[in-house]
This record gives sequence, structure tokens and C-alpha cells, in this order.
Amino acid sequence: MIANIRKLFSYRELIVSLTKKELKVKYRGSALGFFWSLLNPILTMLVYSFVFSIVLQVGTPEFAIFLICALLPFNFLSNSVNYGASSIIANSNLVNKIYFPREIIPLSIILANLFNFLLELAALFIVMGIMGYRFYIYLYLLPVVIFIQFFLVVGMTLLVSALNVFFRDLQHLITIIMMVWFFGTPIIYPLSMVPEEYQFIIKINPMTIYAAYYRNIFYYVKYPEDAGFPLLWETLSALGITLLIFFIGYFVFKKLEPRFAEEI
Amino acid sequence: MVGKNKSLNNIAVDINKVTKRYRIYHEKIPSLKNTILRGKRTTYEEFLALDDISFSIKYGETFGIIGPNGSGKSTLLKLISNIIQPNSGKINIDGTVSALLELGAGFHADLTGRENIYINSAILGMRKREVDKKFDQIVRFSELEKFIDTPVKNYSSGMYMRLGFSIAINVNPDILLVDEVLAVGDQSFQAKCYKAIYDIMKRGKTIIIVSHDLETISDLCSRVAFLKEGKIVDLGNPIRVVSQYRAYVEELEKKRAGDQQKEERKKIFKTVIESNRKVVDGEDIEKLSRLGSEQTIKRFGSGDAMIADIRLLDENENKLDYCKYGDEVKVALDIKFNRKVESPIFGIRITDVKDNIVYGTNTRTNNLKTKVYDNGESLRVEFAFKVTLIGGNYHVTPAVGYKDSKTYCDWINNMLTINVLKNEKAEGIANLNSKITIEKIS
Repeated sequence: MIANIRKLFSYRELIVSLTKKELKVKYRGSALGFFWSLLNPILTMLVYSFVFSIVLQVGTPEFAIFLICALLPFNFLSNSVNYGASSIIANSNLVNKIYFPREIIPLSIILANLFNFLLELAALFIVMGIMGYRFYIYLYLLPVVIFIQFFLVVGMTLLVSALNVFFRDLQHLITIIMMVWFFGTPIIYPLSMVPEEYQFIIKINPMTIYAAYYRNIFYYVKYPEDAGFPLLWETLSALGITLLIFFIGYFVFKKLEPRFAEEI
Repeated sequence: MVGKNKSLNNIAVDINKVTKRYRIYHEKIPSLKNTILRGKRTTYEEFLALDDISFSIKYGETFGIIGPNGSGKSTLLKLISNIIQPNSGKINIDGTVSALLELGAGFHADLTGRENIYINSAILGMRKREVDKKFDQIVRFSELEKFIDTPVKNYSSGMYMRLGFSIAINVNPDILLVDEVLAVGDQSFQAKCYKAIYDIMKRGKTIIIVSHDLETISDLCSRVAFLKEGKIVDLGNPIRVVSQYRAYVEELEKKRAGDQQKEERKKIFKTVIESNRKVVDGEDIEKLSRLGSEQTIKRFGSGDAMIADIRLLDENENKLDYCKYGDEVKVALDIKFNRKVESPIFGIRITDVKDNIVYGTNTRTNNLKTKVYDNGESLRVEFAFKVTLIGGNYHVTPAVGYKDSKTYCDWINNMLTINVLKNEKAEGIANLNSKITIEKIS
């Protein structure tokens, strides 16, 4: 694995190049470019805010911010997994004709999504600054949380991108799984609303813990009475599960990688 | 001379007992649903692409690989470039490999030529600094200066290939793999491509070329391997190996032509004019027409008179696609004279699908006098008869002979196929239409 990381490092320019390509292709053809990528979370935010604050009248103050600071990290995960799933097949012309470590393909998608995520966060900072959030108090925690979540995203994306080469219908399943995962993570609801007996199940999901961190870093700075960082054991369990998924994803990918070219 | 700093034995590529099998799945796309529902992996057959291959290529060698389609050439290149893995055996590569397996693989249609140069170069393993340095050279080579900031989706396929080749040729690997990509662009660009390959050779790089262009192969290569069905038939001197491959291809083509002819016999067809017609002695006709059924000779003769058309007609001159027992039909020949011919003989021969002569006749055996025909004259010759054949396909071979009845103006094997409808009453070739009576013998 260390040898492989060294190899990946020697391919760093290709990784950068392909990541840039992903971003360029995404923003190409629209002068508004990056704006469009913001549109999706903004619209989601508006719709959910309307449903929860106005229709259902959930008492959460400034629901939009409450939602978005957990939604953006989740989108980073779900976009990477959804796009990553078909990435090897979509690049069959490359896989079939040129050698390079194949994980570079899903990795470039993840990095492009990460870049997008960071831009979205920057936009969020501006909005929050205007709204009087002192989000900078715990900001030092943010890189750590993103770094840890990154491993979860890489593990999941590697896993599905490799398996999807062999089972093409996996893509459809993934869409459903990501939807279940979305509702199984406290994004549109606070963790405290989950009944005590289900809390354990929700907390096995590492995204629950990361969402809690993101929310504490951003949203609860304004409502410190509701704040509460995850417990140490919860954090460690999320970390453990994340690493487990990362290694499973990595080894499954590496095991199946040699057969990619002939299967697609 | 080159690999001084490389390993001592001077081997750039070592292929050792390499076997590669491909899986051919019975289903088009394996699916999770089927795997789970059936509780087993998708079924597949194995195809042996390379069968226990061993050879090695030295530094600075230009090595050619030839062979028919499906012989494993491309598989071999993919193995060397690490795109696929062998099922058994070892491949040792000493040096960096760059594979020109497909030009412009990985080009993104929406991005410009400039952007694609950077991405494609990175994919091929070049550093950005190197690309910066070589950028102008790449663009100049591709002759795409004006279009370099145009998205490649607007390129013609030729421009696309040219850009692809220009990038790939500038990668500068130790070992270059080339798969049928030399036929790029117009003549002048192809010449440039060859020159580029020559330059790489001169720099002492190792090149492995797969091509169907045998001229190129014997021109460029120091050694050639002839692959067939995943095995090496011969390896070594390019002239020897290429000529051996040529012989194999010729053999194959003959066989294919023979098969094709058998196939054609089933259909109604008109013979293609063979370019080199020659006068053949009457004695050889029999032999030749026999040979013709197996080989490619379909038409021969001096061409002084030529059979322009042949048709099957009914009594009222309507063209027939088929006939049946008892029909009164005519075989009509249109003959055009290209030179003055005196008293020619017109004839037809009807054969069955197994090439047995069913019937043959001509103006001479019928004591029919023919005249002198001038250049430019056209004739219609009709052979009327009653169909007394058993159902099946029959071929008509028309001929125009000289009065010596030994040499021919034109002879076309199986120019027309007559389809006689099946009649279950009898078997064989000729329908003798016997009356059957039964009497008791006292």
C-alpha cells in the first residue's frame, strides 16, 4: 500500500490534470459556471426550508443554515459515490488503451467534488458572516473533520466504482442506498429528535457523527445551549468504521483492478 | 549502446511463458440481480488469446508483430503495456512504456485542443513542465495551429488523429508500442509520422509495432514475430517471416474465395469481370472450368466478343426468377462484339450444384451456321427448352467460342442460376416423368 501511495504520488500531475478536467467539463459552456453548482444545494435548501419551517412548522430557528451545514458534507459523499460508481466504465476508452493506476479515475472525481464542497463552504461562510454567525470559533476543527470524512468518501467510491464494473445494475441500487443513507443521517432533523432506542443505529453511521461536528462548528455557535459535540467513543467508532470502509474499498478495488480492462 | 545504465543482459521486454485467456460471458452484461437470484457467478466461456508465448526484445530493437485478426497481437501489446494481466507466465519490462494503442484515447470532446494536449500528455505520463516545453512542437507537428483553441468535438477525425499522434510521439518513453496507428491523415502527414518513428529508432529506443502493413513492417523492423491463434508461428528475420505470413494469407484468401464461390452458387449472381483474360486451349477448358469451381477462375477468353447479360425468360419474353417442371423457358444471352469474329460458336452448359453437367449445347453441335460479326455489333442468342429438371438450383455457364472450337472469346462460369421449384414426385437431376403402371403377372 505504501508502494502504491508512492506510485500515486508519481502520478500526481495526472491526478491534478484529471481533477481539473472534471471541473472544467462541469463548468464548461456556462458563463455562470460555479454558480450552477451552487444552485443545487440552494434549491434543496429552499425546498426543505419551505416544507419544514413553513408547512410542518418545525421549531428549528434559521432552518436553512441548520440544514445546509449538514447537507453540503453529505452532498460531497453522495455526489462522489454516485458519479464515481460509473466512472471506470465511463472512461473505458482510457482503461482499455492506456495504463495508469485506475484509482486515479474515481480519485479525480472525489477531488473535483471536494473542491466543489470547499467552494460551497466558502459561499456558506459569506452568508453566515452576513447573518451574524461566529462560525470561526471552531473553524480549526473543520479541516480535521473534512480530512476524516475524505477517507470515508474514498473508501465508498472505490468500492462502488470497482464493483460496478462487474455488476452494472449496482448503479441503480446505489441511488437508493444513498437516499436511505441521506434520511438515516441527521440532516433534515436534529439527532435529538431521534427516539432514544433508535439513536444507537443512527450513531453507527459515521456520517451522523460528522454531520454533528459540522453542525456544531457552524450552526450551534449561534445556539450554544443546544450544542453538544459527539462523545469520544462515538467519534472513535465513526473513525473506526470509516477506516474499515476505506480499507475494504481500497483492497476490493486493488483486487479487481487488473481485470477492469477486459471486463468493460 | 543504449541501455548501458540498464540491466546487463540488454533485454527491454521479456515475455516468459505467457498465457492469456479472455472470458466471454453468456450474458451481455453481468448483473448483481442475476448473481443474487441464481446464487452463482455469471456463466462464461474462455477464449485462449495467447498460448504459452515466450520471447524477448532487446534494447534499441524495432520489433514487428504480424498475424491475422484475432491472433493475439493486440492482447500482447496490452500485456506489455500493463493494461491487462496474464493468467500465467511473467512479463518483465525494463524501462518506461508508452503505448500508441489508440490515438486520442481520453480526449474530451468539450475541451479545446490545448487543454486536451495537457490532459492527454499527463495520461501518457508526461510532466507538465515537459509539456510546456514541447507544446509548440506538438502543435506544429499536428499542423493544427489555427484550431488549437477549438473544442476537439469540432475537429475532423483526421485532425483528431493528428493531434493524438503528435502528443503520443512526443512522450519519449524507453519502449514505444505502436498498434496500427501509422495510417494517420494524408500522405504528407503519414510521411511525417514515419519520419518521427525513424527518429525514435535512431535515438536507440525500443519500438514494438503491430501492423497489417507488411511493407512497413519489413521496412522498419529488425525482427518480426508471426502470431496465429495465440501462438508464435515464426520469429526472426523480417523478410523470411513476412513472406511466410504472405503465403499464409494467400492460402487463406484462396480458401475464402472458394467458400465464397460455393456460397454464391446458392444465389443468383453475375460474374465479376476478371481483369486478365487470356485465350485458353480447348483441352484445358474442361480442366479450367473444373478448377474454376474450386478456385477463383470465373471468366476467361480473349474478349473479342463478350457476354453482356444472361436472363431466364418465359415464352412471352418475361424475365423469370424461377421455373417449374414442364415450363417452356428460354435462356437469353446478350453478346457484344469488340472485334470482328468469324463464325463464332454460342453455347451454354447447365450444371447442378455439385457441378455435374446436366446439359450442354451449342450452335456447332446443332449444325447452326453463324455469320461474320463486326466490331460493335450486338446479338441476342436464345436457347429455348422445356424444363425437365428435378427441383433445385442449376447454374448456367454461357460461352462464345471461336470457330476452331478450341479457343474462346468469353466464358463465364455459372453466370446464371436457375431455380427450379421442388416437385416431390421424383428425385435426382432429370425428371424423366415416368408413367407407372401396376399389373398382375399370371
